[in-house]
Amino acid sequence: MLRLWHNKRAITPVLSNVLLLVIAVAGMSISITATYVITGNLRETMGERLIIEDVWFTRDGISVYLLNTGKTKLSVEGVYVDYMQQTFTSLQLEPLQNGWTNMTRTWTADTVYYLKIVTSRGTQVADHYKSP
Amino acid sequence: MQTTTSRRSLRRDKKGLSSIIVVVLSLVILVVIVANVILWSYQMNQLDWERAQESLTIDDVSRKTRSSWFATYAEYQISDGNFVSGSYVNTQIIDGNYERFIESYPPRTFDINGTFLLDVSNHPLTSIKSIEIRLRFAVGDVGERWYLRAFNWTSRTFSDRGFNSTAGCQPTASWNYYAVNLTNEWRDYVWEDGRVLIQIADQGPDSTRTNIDIDYLVIGAVADGAVFSFRNSGSRTAHILSIWINNATVHRRFETDLFVNSGETFSYTRLDISLPTGQYIAKVVTERGNIGVYTGD
Repeated sequence: MLRLWHNKRAITPVLSNVLLLVIAVAGMSISITATYVITGNLRETMGERLIIEDVWFTRDGISVYLLNTGKTKLSVEGVYVDYMQQTFTSLQLEPLQNGWTNMTRTWTADTVYYLKIVTSRGTQVADHYKSP
Repeated sequence: MQTTTSRRSLRRDKKGLSSIIVVVLSLVILVVIVANVILWSYQMNQLDWERAQESLTIDDVSRKTRSSWFATYAEYQISDGNFVSGSYVNTQIIDGNYERFIESYPPRTFDINGTFLLDVSNHPLTSIKSIEIRLRFAVGDVGERWYLRAFNWTSRTFSDRGFNSTAGCQPTASWNYYAVNLTNEWRDYVWEDGRVLIQIADQGPDSTRTNIDIDYLVIGAVADGAVFSFRNSGSRTAHILSIWINNATVHRRFETDLFVNSGETFSYTRLDISLPTGQYIAKVVTERGNIGVYTGD
Protein backbone atom coordinates (compact mmCIF):
# COMPACT_ATOMS: atom_id res chain seq x y z
CA MET A 1 0.00 0.00 0.00
CA LEU A 2 2.82 2.28 0.96
CA ARG A 3 4.60 1.37 -2.27
CA LEU A 4 1.53 2.19 -4.31
CA TRP A 5 1.22 5.55 -2.58
CA HIS A 6 4.81 6.42 -3.46
CA ASN A 7 4.49 5.11 -7.06
CA LYS A 8 3.02 8.24 -8.62
CA ARG A 9 3.50 6.94 -12.13
CA ALA A 10 0.86 4.24 -11.48
CA ILE A 11 -1.87 6.81 -10.80
CA THR A 12 -1.90 8.14 -14.35
CA PRO A 13 -3.06 4.85 -15.98
CA VAL A 14 -5.82 4.48 -13.32
CA LEU A 15 -7.07 8.01 -13.87
CA SER A 16 -6.96 7.61 -17.63
CA ASN A 17 -8.95 4.39 -17.42
CA VAL A 18 -11.59 5.99 -15.17
CA LEU A 19 -11.76 9.00 -17.47
CA LEU A 20 -12.19 6.76 -20.51
CA LEU A 21 -14.94 4.86 -18.72
CA VAL A 22 -16.78 8.07 -17.86
CA ILE A 23 -16.46 9.31 -21.43
CA ALA A 24 -17.69 5.97 -22.79
CA VAL A 25 -20.71 5.95 -20.46
CA ALA A 26 -21.54 9.57 -21.29
CA GLY A 27 -21.19 8.86 -25.01
CA MET A 28 -23.48 5.86 -24.81
CA SER A 29 -26.04 7.78 -22.77
CA ILE A 30 -26.10 10.56 -25.35
CA SER A 31 -26.40 8.01 -28.16
CA ILE A 32 -29.26 6.17 -26.46
CA THR A 33 -31.11 9.42 -25.67
CA ALA A 34 -30.66 10.57 -29.26
CA THR A 35 -31.96 7.20 -30.46
CA TYR A 36 -34.98 7.50 -28.19
CA VAL A 37 -35.74 11.07 -29.32
CA ILE A 38 -35.30 10.29 -33.02
CA THR A 39 -37.43 7.14 -32.93
CA GLY A 40 -39.96 8.82 -30.64
CA ASN A 41 -40.50 11.64 -33.13
CA LEU A 42 -40.74 9.17 -35.99
CA ARG A 43 -43.22 7.05 -34.10
CA GLU A 44 -45.40 10.06 -33.26
CA THR A 45 -45.41 11.22 -36.87
CA MET A 46 -46.21 7.75 -38.15
CA GLY A 47 -48.86 7.17 -35.47
CA GLU A 48 -50.91 10.26 -36.26
CA ARG A 49 -54.38 9.70 -37.76
CA LEU A 50 -57.46 11.92 -37.76
CA ILE A 51 -60.79 12.05 -39.52
CA ILE A 52 -63.39 14.73 -40.14
CA GLU A 53 -66.55 13.45 -38.45
CA ASP A 54 -68.76 16.33 -39.47
CA VAL A 55 -68.75 19.67 -41.26
CA TRP A 56 -71.44 22.14 -40.28
CA PHE A 57 -72.11 25.31 -42.25
CA THR A 58 -73.52 27.66 -39.63
CA ARG A 59 -74.58 31.30 -39.58
CA ASP A 60 -71.26 32.23 -37.99
CA GLY A 61 -69.05 30.29 -40.38
CA ILE A 62 -67.91 26.72 -40.86
CA SER A 63 -67.43 24.25 -38.01
CA VAL A 64 -65.44 21.05 -38.40
CA TYR A 65 -65.69 18.15 -35.95
CA LEU A 66 -62.52 16.09 -35.75
CA LEU A 67 -61.74 12.70 -34.22
CA ASN A 68 -58.22 11.59 -33.37
CA THR A 69 -58.10 7.94 -34.47
CA GLY A 70 -54.32 7.67 -34.14
CA LYS A 71 -52.07 6.60 -31.31
CA THR A 72 -50.61 9.96 -30.37
CA LYS A 73 -51.77 13.40 -29.25
CA LEU A 74 -52.24 15.83 -32.12
CA SER A 75 -52.57 19.55 -32.51
CA VAL A 76 -54.38 21.25 -35.39
CA GLU A 77 -51.96 23.73 -36.92
CA GLY A 78 -53.77 24.90 -40.02
CA VAL A 79 -57.22 24.92 -41.59
CA TYR A 80 -57.62 25.69 -45.27
CA VAL A 81 -60.77 26.39 -47.25
CA ASP A 82 -60.22 26.33 -51.00
CA TYR A 83 -56.44 26.50 -50.37
CA MET A 84 -56.82 29.68 -48.32
CA GLN A 85 -55.59 29.57 -44.75
CA GLN A 86 -58.29 30.39 -42.19
CA THR A 87 -58.25 31.62 -38.64
CA PHE A 88 -59.72 28.94 -36.43
CA THR A 89 -60.21 27.99 -32.79
CA SER A 90 -57.21 25.97 -31.67
CA LEU A 91 -57.71 22.29 -31.05
CA GLN A 92 -55.57 19.63 -29.40
CA LEU A 93 -56.82 16.06 -29.27
CA GLU A 94 -55.65 13.05 -27.30
CA PRO A 95 -56.10 9.62 -28.93
CA LEU A 96 -59.83 8.88 -29.40
CA GLN A 97 -60.69 12.42 -28.31
CA ASN A 98 -62.85 14.63 -30.51
CA GLY A 99 -63.90 18.24 -30.79
CA TRP A 100 -65.02 21.19 -32.87
CA THR A 101 -62.83 23.74 -34.54
CA ASN A 102 -64.65 26.79 -35.83
CA MET A 103 -63.87 29.22 -38.63
CA THR A 104 -65.56 32.58 -38.98
CA ARG A 105 -65.75 32.43 -42.74
CA THR A 106 -68.66 33.47 -44.91
CA TRP A 107 -70.00 30.86 -47.32
CA THR A 108 -72.60 30.74 -50.02
CA ALA A 109 -75.36 28.17 -50.28
CA ASP A 110 -75.12 25.18 -52.62
CA THR A 111 -71.40 25.60 -53.16
CA VAL A 112 -68.64 23.02 -52.96
CA TYR A 113 -65.72 23.87 -50.69
CA TYR A 114 -62.40 22.08 -50.41
CA LEU A 115 -61.47 21.74 -46.73
CA LYS A 116 -58.05 20.74 -45.53
CA ILE A 117 -56.89 20.19 -41.95
CA VAL A 118 -53.16 20.11 -41.21
CA THR A 119 -51.60 19.00 -37.92
CA SER A 120 -48.38 20.23 -36.34
CA ARG A 121 -46.58 17.09 -37.56
CA GLY A 122 -47.79 17.60 -41.11
CA THR A 123 -50.59 15.05 -41.31
CA GLN A 124 -53.38 16.23 -43.60
CA VAL A 125 -57.02 15.31 -44.11
CA ALA A 126 -58.91 16.94 -46.92
CA ASP A 127 -62.18 16.55 -48.77
CA HIS A 128 -64.88 18.41 -50.67
CA TYR A 129 -67.98 19.52 -48.77
CA LYS A 130 -71.12 21.03 -50.25
CA SER A 131 -72.90 23.75 -48.30
CA PRO A 132 -76.67 23.38 -47.73
CA MET B 1 1.61 -21.80 -29.24
CA GLN B 2 0.24 -19.87 -32.21
CA THR B 3 -3.03 -19.08 -30.34
CA THR B 4 -1.15 -17.68 -27.35
CA THR B 5 0.82 -15.42 -29.67
CA SER B 6 -2.29 -14.03 -31.42
CA ARG B 7 -4.00 -13.35 -28.05
CA ARG B 8 -0.97 -11.41 -26.90
CA SER B 9 -0.90 -9.39 -30.11
CA LEU B 10 -4.62 -8.63 -29.73
CA ARG B 11 -4.10 -7.41 -26.18
CA ARG B 12 -1.30 -5.14 -27.36
CA ASP B 13 -3.30 -3.87 -30.36
CA LYS B 14 -5.69 -1.69 -28.32
CA LYS B 15 -6.65 0.44 -31.32
CA GLY B 16 -8.15 -2.59 -33.07
CA LEU B 17 -10.09 -3.61 -29.99
CA SER B 18 -11.63 -0.16 -29.52
CA SER B 19 -12.60 -0.10 -33.20
CA ILE B 20 -14.45 -3.38 -32.78
CA ILE B 21 -16.28 -2.08 -29.66
CA VAL B 22 -17.27 1.15 -31.47
CA VAL B 23 -18.57 -0.80 -34.48
CA VAL B 24 -20.54 -3.22 -32.29
CA LEU B 25 -22.12 -0.42 -30.21
CA SER B 26 -22.98 1.55 -33.35
CA LEU B 27 -24.56 -1.56 -34.79
CA VAL B 28 -26.62 -2.04 -31.62
CA ILE B 29 -27.90 1.55 -31.80
CA LEU B 30 -28.68 1.18 -35.49
CA VAL B 31 -30.56 -2.05 -34.89
CA VAL B 32 -32.58 -0.45 -32.08
CA ILE B 33 -33.55 2.51 -34.30
CA VAL B 34 -34.46 0.37 -37.30
CA ALA B 35 -36.35 -2.22 -35.23
CA ASN B 36 -38.30 0.48 -33.41
CA VAL B 37 -39.31 2.26 -36.60
CA ILE B 38 -40.11 -0.92 -38.50
CA LEU B 39 -42.20 -2.36 -35.66
CA TRP B 40 -44.16 0.88 -35.27
CA SER B 41 -44.63 1.15 -39.00
CA TYR B 42 -45.94 -2.43 -39.00
CA GLN B 43 -48.41 -1.58 -36.23
CA MET B 44 -49.71 1.50 -38.03
CA ASN B 45 -49.97 -0.42 -41.31
CA GLN B 46 -52.03 -3.00 -39.47
CA LEU B 47 -54.27 -0.21 -38.13
CA ASP B 48 -54.81 1.14 -41.66
CA TRP B 49 -55.41 -2.35 -42.96
CA GLU B 50 -58.00 -3.04 -40.26
CA ARG B 51 -59.69 0.26 -41.06
CA ALA B 52 -59.89 -0.70 -44.73
CA GLN B 53 -61.44 -4.05 -43.80
CA GLU B 54 -64.14 -2.47 -41.65
CA SER B 55 -67.54 -2.04 -43.27
CA LEU B 56 -70.39 -0.71 -41.15
CA THR B 57 -73.68 0.47 -42.63
CA ILE B 58 -76.94 1.83 -41.24
CA ASP B 59 -79.74 -0.24 -42.76
CA ASP B 60 -82.63 1.57 -41.16
CA VAL B 61 -83.56 4.34 -38.74
CA SER B 62 -87.08 4.61 -37.33
CA ARG B 63 -88.88 6.43 -34.55
CA LYS B 64 -89.44 4.77 -31.21
CA THR B 65 -92.12 6.28 -29.01
CA ARG B 66 -92.23 3.66 -26.27
CA SER B 67 -89.80 1.40 -24.45
CA SER B 68 -90.33 -2.32 -24.08
CA TRP B 69 -92.68 -3.34 -21.26
CA PHE B 70 -91.33 -4.12 -17.79
CA ALA B 71 -93.15 -6.62 -15.57
CA THR B 72 -92.66 -7.14 -11.85
CA TYR B 73 -89.66 -9.23 -10.83
CA ALA B 74 -90.92 -10.24 -7.39
CA GLU B 75 -94.12 -11.38 -5.71
CA TYR B 76 -96.78 -8.77 -4.96
CA GLN B 77 -97.03 -7.40 -1.44
CA ILE B 78 -100.52 -7.86 -0.02
CA SER B 79 -101.68 -5.04 2.25
CA ASP B 80 -105.34 -5.97 2.17
CA GLY B 81 -106.80 -9.22 0.79
CA ASN B 82 -105.52 -12.77 0.34
CA PHE B 83 -103.49 -14.76 -2.13
CA VAL B 84 -105.35 -17.63 -3.82
CA SER B 85 -103.27 -19.16 -6.62
CA GLY B 86 -100.64 -18.58 -9.31
CA SER B 87 -97.53 -16.46 -9.04
CA TYR B 88 -96.20 -13.10 -10.16
CA VAL B 89 -94.65 -14.83 -13.21
CA ASN B 90 -98.20 -15.35 -14.54
CA THR B 91 -98.64 -11.57 -14.68
CA GLN B 92 -95.71 -10.96 -17.02
CA ILE B 93 -97.30 -11.87 -20.36
CA ILE B 94 -100.82 -11.94 -21.80
CA ASP B 95 -101.54 -15.63 -22.04
CA GLY B 96 -104.63 -16.30 -19.93
CA ASN B 97 -102.52 -17.67 -17.06
CA TYR B 98 -103.12 -15.44 -14.08
CA GLU B 99 -102.40 -14.89 -10.42
CA ARG B 100 -105.57 -14.90 -8.33
CA PHE B 101 -106.22 -12.83 -5.22
CA ILE B 102 -109.37 -12.33 -3.17
CA GLU B 103 -110.65 -9.42 -1.13
CA SER B 104 -110.14 -9.59 2.60
CA TYR B 105 -112.76 -10.79 5.03
CA PRO B 106 -115.15 -8.00 5.99
CA PRO B 107 -114.80 -5.13 5.28
CA ARG B 108 -113.95 -6.92 1.94
CA THR B 109 -111.31 -4.57 0.62
CA PHE B 110 -108.32 -5.15 -1.60
CA ASP B 111 -104.89 -3.54 -1.83
CA ILE B 112 -101.73 -5.09 -3.26
CA ASN B 113 -98.59 -3.58 -4.74
CA GLY B 114 -95.76 -4.78 -6.93
CA THR B 115 -92.27 -3.47 -7.63
CA PHE B 116 -91.27 -2.74 -11.23
CA LEU B 117 -87.88 -1.73 -12.55
CA LEU B 118 -87.30 0.44 -15.60
CA ASP B 119 -84.03 -0.36 -17.37
CA VAL B 120 -82.42 3.04 -16.86
CA SER B 121 -79.15 1.96 -18.49
CA ASN B 122 -80.95 1.66 -21.84
CA HIS B 123 -83.68 4.17 -21.08
CA PRO B 124 -82.08 7.09 -19.22
CA LEU B 125 -84.53 9.03 -17.07
CA THR B 126 -83.59 12.22 -18.90
CA SER B 127 -84.98 10.77 -22.14
CA ILE B 128 -88.34 9.66 -20.70
CA LYS B 129 -91.40 11.78 -21.39
CA SER B 130 -93.87 9.80 -19.30
CA ILE B 131 -94.72 6.38 -17.86
CA GLU B 132 -97.61 4.15 -18.87
CA ILE B 133 -99.16 1.33 -16.79
CA ARG B 134 -101.16 -1.47 -18.39
CA LEU B 135 -103.35 -3.99 -16.63
CA ARG B 136 -105.36 -6.98 -17.88
CA PHE B 137 -107.61 -8.42 -15.22
CA ALA B 138 -110.87 -10.20 -14.50
CA VAL B 139 -113.08 -10.02 -11.39
CA GLY B 140 -115.86 -12.15 -9.91
CA ASP B 141 -118.04 -9.16 -9.05
CA VAL B 142 -118.44 -6.28 -11.50
CA GLY B 143 -120.15 -4.02 -9.03
CA GLU B 144 -117.19 -1.89 -8.00
CA ARG B 145 -114.40 0.08 -9.66
CA TRP B 146 -110.71 -0.83 -9.56
CA TYR B 147 -107.87 1.62 -9.33
CA LEU B 148 -104.23 1.79 -10.34
CA ARG B 149 -101.92 4.00 -8.28
CA ALA B 150 -98.17 4.43 -7.97
CA PHE B 151 -95.94 5.20 -5.03
CA ASN B 152 -95.17 8.89 -4.97
CA TRP B 153 -91.55 9.16 -3.76
CA THR B 154 -92.06 12.83 -2.84
CA SER B 155 -95.19 12.48 -0.71
CA ARG B 156 -94.28 8.86 0.20
CA THR B 157 -97.81 7.54 -0.37
CA PHE B 158 -99.58 5.64 -3.12
CA SER B 159 -101.27 8.21 -5.27
CA ASP B 160 -102.75 8.86 -8.72
CA ARG B 161 -102.17 12.60 -8.68
CA GLY B 162 -101.30 13.74 -12.18
CA PHE B 163 -102.53 10.53 -13.86
CA ASN B 164 -104.48 11.00 -17.06
CA SER B 165 -107.26 8.88 -15.54
CA THR B 166 -108.13 8.78 -11.87
CA ALA B 167 -111.70 7.52 -12.25
CA GLY B 168 -110.68 3.86 -12.08
CA CYS B 169 -111.95 1.02 -14.23
CA GLN B 170 -115.47 -0.34 -14.11
CA PRO B 171 -114.93 -3.98 -15.05
CA THR B 172 -117.07 -6.29 -17.18
CA ALA B 173 -117.54 -10.01 -16.71
CA SER B 174 -114.75 -10.93 -19.16
CA TRP B 175 -111.10 -9.83 -19.31
CA ASN B 176 -110.68 -6.10 -18.81
CA TYR B 177 -107.94 -3.82 -20.08
CA TYR B 178 -107.03 -0.75 -18.12
CA ALA B 179 -104.20 1.64 -18.91
CA VAL B 180 -103.11 4.86 -17.26
CA ASN B 181 -100.52 7.43 -18.18
CA LEU B 182 -98.56 9.28 -15.49
CA THR B 183 -98.32 12.35 -17.78
CA ASN B 184 -95.62 14.89 -16.94
CA GLU B 185 -95.90 14.10 -13.21
CA TRP B 186 -94.15 10.77 -13.81
CA ARG B 187 -90.86 11.83 -12.22
CA ASP B 188 -92.43 11.80 -8.74
CA TYR B 189 -93.25 8.13 -9.19
CA VAL B 190 -89.89 6.83 -10.46
CA TRP B 191 -86.89 6.41 -8.16
CA GLU B 192 -83.36 7.17 -9.43
CA ASP B 193 -82.66 3.49 -10.13
CA GLY B 194 -85.86 3.14 -12.18
CA ARG B 195 -87.98 1.56 -9.43
CA VAL B 196 -91.75 2.05 -9.66
CA LEU B 197 -94.21 0.67 -7.10
CA ILE B 198 -97.68 0.01 -8.53
CA GLN B 199 -100.76 -0.50 -6.43
CA ILE B 200 -104.01 -2.21 -7.42
CA ALA B 201 -106.91 -1.37 -5.12
CA ASP B 202 -110.64 -1.78 -5.14
CA GLN B 203 -113.24 0.93 -4.59
CA GLY B 204 -113.73 0.11 -0.92
CA PRO B 205 -115.84 -2.06 1.41
CA ASP B 206 -118.81 -3.74 -0.26
CA SER B 207 -121.17 -6.67 0.22
CA THR B 208 -119.40 -9.22 -2.03
CA ARG B 209 -116.00 -10.77 -1.35
CA THR B 210 -114.60 -10.58 -4.88
CA ASN B 211 -111.65 -12.36 -6.40
CA ILE B 212 -109.38 -10.65 -8.91
CA ASP B 213 -107.31 -12.46 -11.57
CA ILE B 214 -104.30 -10.53 -12.81
CA ASP B 215 -103.09 -11.73 -16.18
CA TYR B 216 -100.85 -8.83 -17.13
CA LEU B 217 -99.46 -5.83 -15.28
CA VAL B 218 -96.57 -3.90 -16.80
CA ILE B 219 -95.06 -0.45 -17.05
CA GLY B 220 -93.40 1.22 -20.02
CA ALA B 221 -91.63 4.48 -20.74
CA VAL B 222 -93.06 6.95 -23.22
CA ALA B 223 -90.36 8.72 -25.17
CA ASP B 224 -89.40 10.28 -28.47
CA GLY B 225 -86.48 8.14 -29.50
CA ALA B 226 -85.08 6.21 -32.41
CA VAL B 227 -84.17 2.65 -33.38
CA PHE B 228 -81.08 2.12 -35.52
CA SER B 229 -80.31 -1.02 -37.45
CA PHE B 230 -76.56 -1.45 -37.99
CA ARG B 231 -74.98 -4.05 -40.24
CA ASN B 232 -71.32 -4.97 -40.01
CA SER B 233 -70.42 -6.68 -43.27
CA GLY B 234 -66.68 -6.34 -42.65
CA SER B 235 -64.37 -8.96 -41.23
CA ARG B 236 -63.63 -7.01 -38.04
CA THR B 237 -65.70 -6.09 -35.00
CA ALA B 238 -66.79 -2.47 -35.28
CA HIS B 239 -66.72 -0.16 -32.27
CA ILE B 240 -69.19 2.69 -32.70
CA LEU B 241 -68.20 5.86 -30.85
CA SER B 242 -70.83 8.34 -31.94
CA ILE B 243 -74.12 8.84 -33.75
CA TRP B 244 -74.91 12.04 -35.62
CA ILE B 245 -78.36 13.30 -36.55
CA ASN B 246 -78.06 16.20 -38.97
CA ASN B 247 -80.47 18.28 -40.94
CA ALA B 248 -80.20 21.63 -42.65
CA THR B 249 -80.34 23.56 -39.40
CA VAL B 250 -79.03 21.35 -36.60
CA HIS B 251 -76.15 18.90 -36.26
CA ARG B 252 -76.41 16.79 -33.10
CA ARG B 253 -73.83 14.31 -31.85
CA PHE B 254 -74.59 11.51 -29.40
CA GLU B 255 -71.88 9.55 -27.59
CA THR B 256 -72.18 5.80 -27.71
CA ASP B 257 -70.07 2.77 -26.87
CA LEU B 258 -71.33 -0.04 -29.01
CA PHE B 259 -69.68 -3.11 -30.51
CA VAL B 260 -71.09 -4.85 -33.58
CA ASN B 261 -69.59 -8.23 -34.40
CA SER B 262 -68.48 -9.14 -37.87
CA GLY B 263 -71.39 -10.27 -40.04
CA GLU B 264 -73.93 -9.17 -37.44
CA THR B 265 -77.01 -6.99 -37.83
CA PHE B 266 -77.73 -5.12 -34.63
CA SER B 267 -80.80 -3.18 -33.58
CA TYR B 268 -80.02 -0.32 -31.25
CA THR B 269 -82.63 1.72 -29.39
CA ARG B 270 -81.94 5.21 -28.08
CA LEU B 271 -84.85 6.95 -26.40
CA ASP B 272 -82.83 10.15 -26.03
CA ILE B 273 -82.31 10.61 -29.76
CA SER B 274 -85.34 12.27 -31.33
CA LEU B 275 -85.46 12.31 -35.10
CA PRO B 276 -86.19 15.65 -36.77
CA THR B 277 -89.12 16.17 -39.08
CA GLY B 278 -88.27 16.35 -42.76
CA GLN B 279 -85.13 15.06 -44.37
CA TYR B 280 -82.19 14.21 -42.15
CA ILE B 281 -78.89 12.38 -42.23
CA ALA B 282 -77.89 9.81 -39.62
CA LYS B 283 -74.19 8.98 -39.32
CA VAL B 284 -72.21 6.56 -37.19
CA VAL B 285 -68.49 6.94 -36.55
CA THR B 286 -66.32 3.98 -35.60
CA GLU B 287 -63.16 3.93 -33.51
CA ARG B 288 -61.08 3.10 -36.59
CA GLY B 289 -62.39 6.22 -38.32
CA ASN B 290 -65.01 4.86 -40.71
CA ILE B 291 -68.38 6.56 -41.14
CA GLY B 292 -71.71 4.92 -42.05
CA VAL B 293 -74.41 7.19 -43.45
CA TYR B 294 -78.19 6.90 -43.75
CA THR B 295 -80.60 9.40 -45.27
CA GLY B 296 -84.03 9.46 -43.67
CA ASP B 297 -87.23 11.35 -44.26
